[in-house]
Amino acid sequence: MLLQEYLYRTVRKTPDKEVLIYGENHISYGQLAAAAESIAFWINSLELEPGFRGALLTDDPFEYIAGYFGILIAGGVVVGLNSQTSVKSLQYHLDDCGASVLLAHKKFTRYFKPVVRKLNSIQGLAVTGPDPDLAWAGEIGQADLTELLDGKKAGSDSVAMSFRTSCDLAQIIYTSGTTGKPKGVMLRHSNLVANITSIVSYLHLSDKDRIMAVLPFFYVYGNSVMLTHIAVGGSLVVNQSFLYPNVILQQMVEHEVTGFSGVPSTFALLLNRSSLAKFSFPALRYLTQAGAAMSPALAVRLEKYFPGVAIYIMYGQTEASARLAYLEPSELHNRPGSIGKGIPGVCLSLLDQNGNAVPVGQTGEIVAQGENVMAGYWEQPEESAKVLRREGLWTGDLARQDEDGFFYVISRKSDIIKSGSHRIGPKEIEDTLAEHPAVHEAAVLGVADEILDERIRACIVLKDGCVCVEKELITHCRKELPAYKVPQEIQFFSELPKTATGKIKKTELKSL
Amino acid sequence: MNDTLATIRKFIFDNFLFDAAEEDLGNDDSFLDQGIIDSTGVLELVEWLEDTFDIAVDDDELIPENLDSVNQLAAFINKKANPEP
Repeated sequence: MLLQEYLYRTVRKTPDKEVLIYGENHISYGQLAAAAESIAFWINSLELEPGFRGALLTDDPFEYIAGYFGILIAGGVVVGLNSQTSVKSLQYHLDDCGASVLLAHKKFTRYFKPVVRKLNSIQGLAVTGPDPDLAWAGEIGQADLTELLDGKKAGSDSVAMSFRTSCDLAQIIYTSGTTGKPKGVMLRHSNLVANITSIVSYLHLSDKDRIMAVLPFFYVYGNSVMLTHIAVGGSLVVNQSFLYPNVILQQMVEHEVTGFSGVPSTFALLLNRSSLAKFSFPALRYLTQAGAAMSPALAVRLEKYFPGVAIYIMYGQTEASARLAYLEPSELHNRPGSIGKGIPGVCLSLLDQNGNAVPVGQTGEIVAQGENVMAGYWEQPEESAKVLRREGLWTGDLARQDEDGFFYVISRKSDIIKSGSHRIGPKEIEDTLAEHPAVHEAAVLGVADEILDERIRACIVLKDGCVCVEKELITHCRKELPAYKVPQEIQFFSELPKTATGKIKKTELKSL
Repeated sequence: MNDTLATIRKFIFDNFLFDAAEEDLGNDDSFLDQGIIDSTGVLELVEWLEDTFDIAVDDDELIPENLDSVNQLAAFINKKANPEP
């Protein structure tokens, strides 16, 4: 099965049903399919080889989802890009995946204009209209994205579907690397379909469901929220800025949403900086949290404000198309701190570094087997081989199991920083800091934060005789990095603590 | 009021826009639409408001009508400093 068949299935049954509500906009499945086909029709005119990479750089949900399915219908591979970006970051991602097509919102022109000019791979550029001025782009194919979204592109009703199979790649999602550049996780149609089928089954999703989608679609969690609801013919109420939690709560009531998905910082914001107590949600059926287990105290608080609502704790990673484990709501209080068991279709085991199963109660690395496990990292066979081994996908997460088989994550093997909905590799930030002329050495790590889960701390040793203040380094990072990767705090040291082999002791720096 | 506007603009430039040009931010520009502030930025902004203007911001008041532009912030500060009887 191909992902776009989910969309067509609902279009055939209920074309007028709302798929997307955002701001004042209400988009039906019929409108979405027409827009996607119009985009596909334009892409087909570029005469690209099947399997081309089509990138999305937009925070407009209709542009994103129509672009997503348009690229798939045209036989391409979707690369959803983080809209919090920088010129440097965008160039890396577009260049790395060899994107042939870019669909972008015009508000990001300052990022994509210098990059598109440099990259030879881009053969088509569609930008939000009306009448985007793309004369600077030269000979490459150009389109008004707003016009394409109208779905009235001549001939688009007869768009030729490119022949693809479920074994072909559908999507590349970039994930932070701890030691190098971001890696493109390659997901086949079959990987995503397997995960969607499993999630739909354990969350009991149906066409009556209407999710409040606050997580960005370019990350795997938000991607999964989008696809599962389209798969069942449900609806997405989208507000991904999450600047004003009260606005989100108001929308949840107004649109009678049945589900809400977040990461720990989402729930921390709702509980600590909103008027949650003043709202009630009679239509709400379930909450999901992924990214970490839920503390018993937080569970009690959430249950107070969301009485009778099922709370699902989930665990996964991009390399698994999203989901690997979940905890049944009935177990929330019996298994505090647990991420549950493998989802339907996934087998999880705990192995030592030699691939041997560890005894109950002892710590091992979570290794996963299932149809949802990725095809590998884009053009990084060595990195792929490190995690895709005979035993399955080695997740890098250390955990223990109780006697009833429930998993409890203890720590990560990597230094990835979990900040809000972002997963951030420290290396890129350390390299950026090291480029500053006053910096001798930099170590970047995550430290506990009440709202964000972790905030970014940079530990700096200056070169002899150099003077530099925190603000100067933050400004330097702001110029080079997307906003969410800029450290929230800078600490200066005369030297960093190191092991005998010269490795920086980040655990020690965390506790300072 | 002009002093308040200047103080707000300085905070926004110092913390979110850095070396951007003055004309890059109009006093009615939406922080949300322009992508100037994210959700943690709003929390920083509120903390700064409370410290700088000696006001308490209630959770109910965390709405775009109060916080989403330089002019809206100035009006909100003025309202907090001079509550209606």
